[in-house]
Amino acid sequence: MVNKLNPILVSSLLALLFGLMTLWASYKFPAAVRVAVDNVGVFLSYPERPAQEIRTLVQATGNWVMERKSLQDRNRELEVENLALRTALQNVTIPSPVSTSELIGARVTLRYPEAWWKEVRVNRGSLHGVRVGAPAISDGYMIGKVVRVGEDYSWVELITSSSFMLAAVVNETWDLGVINGDDRGNVWLFYMPPEREFRRGMMISTAMVGDYLPPGIPIGRIWGSGETRDGFTPQSVASGAHLTQLYNLQILSSGAEGARN
Amino acid sequence: MIAPVAAWLLQDLMQVLAMGFMLVPEFFMLVVVYRTISGPLLPRRVSWWIWFAFAGGILWDMRWAAIPGMSGLINVAAVVLVYWVWNRTPVSGRGALLFAGLAGGMHFLSGVAHYFAWSVPSQAATRMFLVQQLLSIPVLAGLCLIYAFRASEPHV
Repeated sequence: MVNKLNPILVSSLLALLFGLMTLWASYKFPAAVRVAVDNVGVFLSYPERPAQEIRTLVQATGNWVMERKSLQDRNRELEVENLALRTALQNVTIPSPVSTSELIGARVTLRYPEAWWKEVRVNRGSLHGVRVGAPAISDGYMIGKVVRVGEDYSWVELITSSSFMLAAVVNETWDLGVINGDDRGNVWLFYMPPEREFRRGMMISTAMVGDYLPPGIPIGRIWGSGETRDGFTPQSVASGAHLTQLYNLQILSSGAEGARN
Repeated sequence: MIAPVAAWLLQDLMQVLAMGFMLVPEFFMLVVVYRTISGPLLPRRVSWWIWFAFAGGILWDMRWAAIPGMSGLINVAAVVLVYWVWNRTPVSGRGALLFAGLAGGMHFLSGVAHYFAWSVPSQAATRMFLVQQLLSIPVLAGLCLIYAFRASEPHV
């Protein structure tokens, strides 16, 4: 047993001794150790190359993913910031509606996408003199009438609404018809006699129908003719106001009298 | 000898891949321990594995630690201790479980020694140490299976 252990014991002790000497040498002669370490590193760099390449590839992929995520986050932040700035800029550039003794300036505060061509809400109500049935005007043209009124808000039904009905007259011919929309942005002048010749560009204005609506408020111009049905030829009307970008409007106050041109 | 060299290279390549966020298990030490006890316990043969473990440890230190000697000493201590216990265990008691206990214990002690010798004790260092120990379990299990399989083979 002793004979069996001896070579192992000797080897163990020698290995431990060499190990301790190596440790001592690494502290005593760091320059020499550095040279040895460098050489081992150079030697091992060849078999390690595939692993290094894989590591580099994985790191590059990770960096790319991180960078992409970072860019996406930054892009999202910029989009939100851009939207906020655009909204602020829009609010600044929209001219404030002017109120006069006849007209109440109002800003559009709500326009539902599903009722885009039907109605809008404005920031003026009964406290400001708005009454149901009062005509709403934009750019000098009638665009609708007030249908509901709150204290500090009111709803305006647009002339493009299918439930909007208004007596109107063709200025050049004095023919009387009814203005009506189709909820899709189109405006028609119904009950027009087919034998009359209507030309594109003829002006259409409100007709005298009651106290709340003065006659002679421009609505738009004739754009074309529709199909003749039941003895009438409806005329397509191009609104004079910019209905797609309606940011503010004016409402004729109840005390107003006479037409406004 | 091929298996320990391959284990050393595998350990080195995996450490290259995992450098910076993980310590790979001591494949080399485990394989050397396995080879030491899986054959006849002849003095020259065991001495050879002691020196082999020492050389592998020195090389590892030169590649990764820049303080040569520590891993060499740990490897030598591990091989000698395992041999000493194994040699004093009756043949009937030398089984896969004993090997697993010895090799696993040596791996744990080696990890502890490295932990206190080279790293500043911290949460990150402790996590790396624990991951290293956990990853050594499948390697140990594989070596145990190989040992059990070879032990079950009829001897010629």
